[in-house]
Amino acid sequence: MSLLASARYHLNVDLIGNGFLRYERRKLERKLANPRPHPHLGPPLVTAAELKELISRHYLKGRYASGHKPVAWVTSGAPVEFLQALGFFLLYPENHGAVCGIRRKAEEYCSAAEDLGYSRDICSYARTDIGSVMTGKTPVGTLPRPDLLVCCTNICQTVLYWYRVLAEHFGCPLVIIDTPFVYDSASDHSVAYVLRQIEQAVEVAERVAGRSLEPDKLRQVTQLSRDAVDLWMQVLERCRHRPAPMTAFDAFIQLAPIVEMRGEDFAVGYYQRLLAALDQRIADGVWALKDERLRLVWDNLPIWHRMRWLGERFAERGVALVASTYTNAWGELAPLIDPAHPLESGARTYLHAILNRSTGHKLNVIKGLVSDYQADGVVLHSDRSCKPYSVGQIDQRGRLVGAEGVPALLLEADHNDPRSFSEEQVAARLDAFLEILES
Amino acid sequence: MVEVPSRGATIAAWREQGGGIAAVFPIHHPRALWRAYGLLPVEVWGPPVTDTSRGDARLQAYTCSVVRCGLAFLESGGLEDVDLVVVPHACDSLQGLGSLLLDFAPPRQPVITPYIPRTRDAAAAEFLAHELRSVGLRLAEITGHQPDAAAVMACNQAEAQADRQRLALFEARRHLPLTNLEFYRLVRAREYLPAQDFAALAQAALAERIDEALPGPGVMLSGLLPEPMALLGVLDRAGAVVVADDYACSGRRHYRAGSSDEPWLNMAQSLLAGPPDPTLGHPIAQRVDHLVQACQSAGVDAVIFHGVKFCEPERFDLPMVQAGLQARLGLPCVDLEVDLASPLGHQAVTRIEALVEGLS
Amino acid sequence: MGSTVALGIDLGSTTTKLVAVDATGALVHHSVQSTAPTMAQQAAALVAQARLDLGAPDAPLVATGYGRHLVQDAARQVTEITCHARGVFHATGQPCTLIDIGGQDTKVITIGAGGKVMSFAMNDKCAAGTGRFLEVAAQRLQLPIDAFGPLALEGDAEEPLSSTCVVFAESEMISLLARGVALAPIVRGLHRSLVRRVAALARGAGAQAPVLLSGGVARNPAVRALLEAELGLAVVVPPHPQLAGAWGAALLAG
Repeated sequence: MSLLASARYHLNVDLIGNGFLRYERRKLERKLANPRPHPHLGPPLVTAAELKELISRHYLKGRYASGHKPVAWVTSGAPVEFLQALGFFLLYPENHGAVCGIRRKAEEYCSAAEDLGYSRDICSYARTDIGSVMTGKTPVGTLPRPDLLVCCTNICQTVLYWYRVLAEHFGCPLVIIDTPFVYDSASDHSVAYVLRQIEQAVEVAERVAGRSLEPDKLRQVTQLSRDAVDLWMQVLERCRHRPAPMTAFDAFIQLAPIVEMRGEDFAVGYYQRLLAALDQRIADGVWALKDERLRLVWDNLPIWHRMRWLGERFAERGVALVASTYTNAWGELAPLIDPAHPLESGARTYLHAILNRSTGHKLNVIKGLVSDYQADGVVLHSDRSCKPYSVGQIDQRGRLVGAEGVPALLLEADHNDPRSFSEEQVAARLDAFLEILES
Repeated sequence: MVEVPSRGATIAAWREQGGGIAAVFPIHHPRALWRAYGLLPVEVWGPPVTDTSRGDARLQAYTCSVVRCGLAFLESGGLEDVDLVVVPHACDSLQGLGSLLLDFAPPRQPVITPYIPRTRDAAAAEFLAHELRSVGLRLAEITGHQPDAAAVMACNQAEAQADRQRLALFEARRHLPLTNLEFYRLVRAREYLPAQDFAALAQAALAERIDEALPGPGVMLSGLLPEPMALLGVLDRAGAVVVADDYACSGRRHYRAGSSDEPWLNMAQSLLAGPPDPTLGHPIAQRVDHLVQACQSAGVDAVIFHGVKFCEPERFDLPMVQAGLQARLGLPCVDLEVDLASPLGHQAVTRIEALVEGLS
Repeated sequence: MGSTVALGIDLGSTTTKLVAVDATGALVHHSVQSTAPTMAQQAAALVAQARLDLGAPDAPLVATGYGRHLVQDAARQVTEITCHARGVFHATGQPCTLIDIGGQDTKVITIGAGGKVMSFAMNDKCAAGTGRFLEVAAQRLQLPIDAFGPLALEGDAEEPLSSTCVVFAESEMISLLARGVALAPIVRGLHRSLVRRVAALARGAGAQAPVLLSGGVARNPAVRALLEAELGLAVVVPPHPQLAGAWGAALLAG
């Protein structure tokens, strides 16, 4: 770590950056106080300005982190608490990928990766990231080089292959936390295996960071993680209200702090304010949709590059997406996080991430959401890039429609690659499905 | 030329002795485990399926044909006579298959889904030993067998011996008077023959070794499995010899024997002691080193990357592996993608022939 | 032009080309005809007739193309990759890159000294990077394929298409027209889609100047112009672009 880099960091982030971002936030808050009326959607959430500030500050920190803090690139389901406690700056290539998807840059980066020989059949997050890394392009300023890569396979095996490419490219250590798939229930030896790997990961991270992990700091971070996850769950549960004060489209954006700032105190503060804002909406009778007529559950990743298009399409028909297995994934494990036993509970928590669970369990989660959120149907996004999420959906849909009598639609698309999206086809299927629900 | 017993005849003979059959899906699994409980493991690589509609009914089109054909085969009664179905954890798609069979489409037989670790250190070996032991408990319930430690160790040793013989066949390839098709029929018998029978077969084949080396350029095949087998026929016709193999069904499963005296740990160690494999966490550089060494010692002139469409673990490494081989050995390579349910396309034939033409 | 010393036949899925060369490798005779369903008989008859007409009953024959293994008379069967490289090298006399956009597949071949194939890449699984992409679109728009290229070059406006799949592109095209977008910009966008895919294939294969374009689509001026722009390299159509395979085969026979 260098003094010059630290000086640059403090100047650009703490002195200049914070002030600038606060100014931008105030500007946006003023705008949000008088939002332009939308024919179908309620007013935007007042906390949107703070969220934007948090995300911008995160990437601003990243821009100046090299040399000031150790940098780790991590998978979205990795046990990050020990890394936070060791003072790492954490970058989530998947989140960066989603930002590229939203900002319509993913196609360019995917094409760049494909030009280098990476097949179009591999995950679009990976292609976006590899394309970004190899060309040095990003819509968020600059991405800091990793000093460490941490890959946890609880979301998929693809991250293993992807992070191997990154490790080869960057020449930095790669830590793998291999989480045995839970076909039914997690065995004791699985938990022991994951714990041992987390302990080994801590050793590597300590070497890279040049410091030891302080147990108190770890407990503190784990507590903050737990608090944030608890609050997130409560935020999501506000959408059980009929009509809903927020939709899953909002939640897809609102989950940024829980994914990439888990363990930080400002993430907890943010969700407290978001929860208060939602409670205020419920008290004031302000809803996500002006006229909520139908409620749906969304399964699988969002279609990042078509959020607005889909959002408008649903809103026009008075359809509120009230829950999703994707956003729920970051809340449902809250009870497992135990700050008194951070690493041990971490092993158990991260083993039980929804993508590490069976197709039958996933169906149960969907059914639970339909019932708890009083949904009229389910949209299953058959994401071409995400096999662990998508394999099994045909049967899940069949059971929902058959045994459960819940209308369900299978929608073929891709979370990040717009070339695997056919507007005509999706629009036709959606319209037909909504007609069934409306009749 | 030695006669290779067919899969059907082997299964029938085994049954006559009163033994059970375990149908095992790709990739890594310990043959010794099933044998210890009286089950003959018969591997399901590239089953004879051309109509995948029964698999397609449950799987999206972007699922690989290893899984689609496997499921179609099972759903149309191909595994009707087996006593156990095993779907080891290897990748996201096979994970999905295992889960589908447990939750939504259970066959008549019990389904076991052992988790094979992605790393290869001591923690992984310890985990795997526990995992295999707990699968053993399940097998005891199913089969009624209760092998003692010595029996399990004996099975480990028999499989290690068979693996050594298969490796010997590859090492002697240039001096075995067999076409590529004949050679692979021989080595692929490892997928169903009992270990002792395979070892004997391999020894008989090795006894027919000739002094002169087979003529023609040497090729390495890298991918999942040599199917459609017509590919080997194309190489035969073009005059090339497959002298090295980086296939998941063969070359990537040249396991070394375990070192522990404890039979379950010994079994786990062996399963984790194969060459670098893209489904596992090996650094790419390690894989390149291994492939370079394999190409050098076998005298490889060109490499054919023979992938199955939609197989992610194979596709990520490719650009860096091909660049590494190019930089260190200057070997020409060609990239093929097949669908196991379709015959080998004209375009794939052209690529292989063009590659070999360029070597003369 | 001397007497025939060798013959080459390129038995493609759409057209069959026959070439006869003299001792210097120059063209003595060539013919192009649509490939009949009974391609084996057609090839045999074609070769027999040529041998008769040219007075070359013993000239060696090499067969290439889709149906090469059906030609009984051939001394050897050689892939269109190797034959195209040889044929194009004879025309240019220098190492170059050949981009062949056929009706069913697209090939990029980097050619070294002596016409040796240095590397090659093929796009054969998907119609979107081949001539088929434009054929389907032209048919749907009820335009003759020969008018398609010039139409794409009319004016500067271009309507980008997001779909790279032929099926989706077709419906995207129709909905654009329904929305009132003019025809020429759409047709240009279609050409751009095709060219982008071909350029990606070419870059992956390490295409370097000089770049030559062959195949049925080589006659399309818009493809050549847009490909040049996309690659940043001059793209030239060699003389007798359709004959490169058969010519190379004849050269290899001699």
